[in-house]
Amino acid sequence: MGAGEGGLTVEAATSEPAVAPRRRRRLRLTTPALLGLPVSWLAVFFLAPIAIVAAYSVDVLVLFPGPHGFTLSAWRSLFSGSNPYLHLFAKSVEMSLIVSAVVVLVAYPLAYFLALSGTKRKYILLLVLIAPFLTSYLLRVLAWKVILGDQGVINSFLFWTGLRSPDHPLSFLLYSRFAVMLVLGYVWLPFVALPIFVTLETLDRGLLEAASDLYASRLQAFVRVTLPLSAPGLVAAFLFVFIPTVGEFITPSLVGGTGGYMYGNQIVDLFGTGFPDWETGSVLALFLLAVIAVLTLVFVRFLRAGEVQAA
Amino acid sequence: MDVALSPNGKRLMRVFFVLVIVFLYAPIAILLVFSFNSSAIPVFPLSGFTIRWYHDFLTNADIRAALETSAIIAVVSSIGAVALGILAAIGLTRRRFRGQLGATALLLSPLVIPLLVLGVSLALLFHELGMQRSIYTVMIGHIVITVPYTILVIRPRLGQIDASLGEAAYDLGAGPLTTFRRVTLPLILPAVVSAFMIAFTTSFDEYAVASFLVGPRQTFPVYLYAALRFPSQLPQVIAVAVVVLLGSLVVIVLAELWRRRAEARLEAPA
Repeated sequence: MGAGEGGLTVEAATSEPAVAPRRRRRLRLTTPALLGLPVSWLAVFFLAPIAIVAAYSVDVLVLFPGPHGFTLSAWRSLFSGSNPYLHLFAKSVEMSLIVSAVVVLVAYPLAYFLALSGTKRKYILLLVLIAPFLTSYLLRVLAWKVILGDQGVINSFLFWTGLRSPDHPLSFLLYSRFAVMLVLGYVWLPFVALPIFVTLETLDRGLLEAASDLYASRLQAFVRVTLPLSAPGLVAAFLFVFIPTVGEFITPSLVGGTGGYMYGNQIVDLFGTGFPDWETGSVLALFLLAVIAVLTLVFVRFLRAGEVQAA
Repeated sequence: MDVALSPNGKRLMRVFFVLVIVFLYAPIAILLVFSFNSSAIPVFPLSGFTIRWYHDFLTNADIRAALETSAIIAVVSSIGAVALGILAAIGLTRRRFRGQLGATALLLSPLVIPLLVLGVSLALLFHELGMQRSIYTVMIGHIVITVPYTILVIRPRLGQIDASLGEAAYDLGAGPLTTFRRVTLPLILPAVVSAFMIAFTTSFDEYAVASFLVGPRQTFPVYLYAALRFPSQLPQVIAVAVVVLLGSLVVIVLAELWRRRAEARLEAPA
C-alpha cells in the first residue's frame, strides 16, 4: 500500500497542469450510459418481438407468402360466440385458480408458523421449504411421472402389496387434469410460502399484543389484525402462482394427456410443425399476455393503495 | 401468553410443516432410490442395487453434449445478464430522471410475461431477421429472462451502501471505471455473485423459451424433455436427474451461506 500511496503523491505533484482534462474525465457516467444498454436490449429482444406477434395477429406479417393486409378477422373470431379457444382458456383459468388457491391455503399456515411461532431456526427452515423450488423444474415433473404412471411407483406398490390387481391400475393418476394440477401445485408450493412469510415477518407483533390486551381472542386477533395486514403477501402469492400456471404448457404436455391439455399447449401447437397457424397463435398469445398484464397492473395499484393507506 | 399461536396450535402446525416437507422431498427421494435400482423400469418391488445407470450416463455422449451446451449458454447468458443488471441497478438507484418509472417497469417486465409468449415472440423476431436458431439465440432469450432477477438482487445491495463512498473516490481523482472496480464492485460483490448464481441456475434449467430458440445443439432441458416424452432410457435419465438436482441444491445452499457471511463481513466495523 505504501508504494501505491507514494505513486499517487508523485502523480498528483507532476500532473498539476493536466487538472482540467482530469476533471472532465472525473465526470460521472450519465444516465443514458448506464441504462442505455439494458433498456435497448429489452426494447429489441422483448418489446420488438411482441410487436411482431401483434403484426402477425392482424395479418400484416404472414407465414406463407401471398396477398395479405391488415385484418382483425382472427381477433373477431376469438370473441365470437362459442370459440373453442376461449373455452380452453376458461378451462386453464379454472385449473390454475384451483391450484393457486390450494397452494396459498397450504402455504399460509407454513409461513405463519415460521414467521410468528418464535422458532429460532426460521431462516433455515424457510430455506429447507424453498430449496426444492430452486432445483430443476423438469426433474420434479419427471419424479411425478415415475410416481403416478400405470406402471409407476404408486400402482406397482399397490400391486405388490396386493391392494389392487395389476389388471386395474389407478389410471386416472397420470395423463389427467388431476395429474396436471397435482404437479403444478407441487412445483409452486415452496415458492409461494416466501411472499407470505415476508409480510408476516415484517408484521408488528405489538399489534397482536395490543389486540390481546384489548381482550381479543387469538382467532379475533388473526381475523381482524394479522389477516388484513398480510393481504398484500397473500395476493402476491396467489398471482405468483396464477400467472405462470395459466400459460403453462410443459407440465400438461408431460403428465396431462388429452384431459389435461391447456391453453398454452394450444399456442405451442399452432406454432408447431404440424398445421401451423401463426395468425391464430399470435392472437392467442397476445390475449394471454393482455390478461396477465391487466392482472399485474391491478395488483400494483392494489399494493400502492395499501402503501398510501398505511402512510 | 403467546398472542400468535396457542401451544396446541404450535404443535399442530409443526406436524403440518413436517408433513409438507415430506410431501416436497419424497418425490426427490424416490428418484434417488430408483436411480440405484437395477430394473430398467422404475417399479416396486425394488430389484437390486446398481450404479450401472450412473456409469451409463457418464459415457452417454448425447447427455454429456447437452450438459455442456447448457453450461456454455448458462455461463455466457449469466455474464451478460449480470453486466446489464449492474448497469441498470446503478442507473436506477443512483440517478433521478424522467421516465424512471417506465424504465423500471420495462426492465422488470420479463418477470411476468409467460415464458411461452416470450419464446414464441423471439422465434418470430429471429424468423423475420432471418437468423438461424443456435446457442446464440438461446443466450439472447435467457438474458432477457434473467436481467430482472439480477436487478432485483443487486439494487437493494446498492441501496444499502453509502453513495458518498463512490463520491469520495471521484473526489480523490478516480474515473468512473476505477471507482466501480475499486469501490462499488467490492461492496456489491456478494449480491453480484448471488445474481450470477440465480441467472446461471435459471438458464441451465430453462426449457420453455429454449424450446423455441434451440438450434441443432440441444440444451440439457430440451434433451430431458424429449427423453421424458419417449422414456426409452429412463433409468439413465433418472440418474443424471439426481446428480443435477443434488448438485444444484448444494450449490444454492453454499452460495446463500457464502453471501450471508460475505455481507456480514463487509458490514462489520474494520
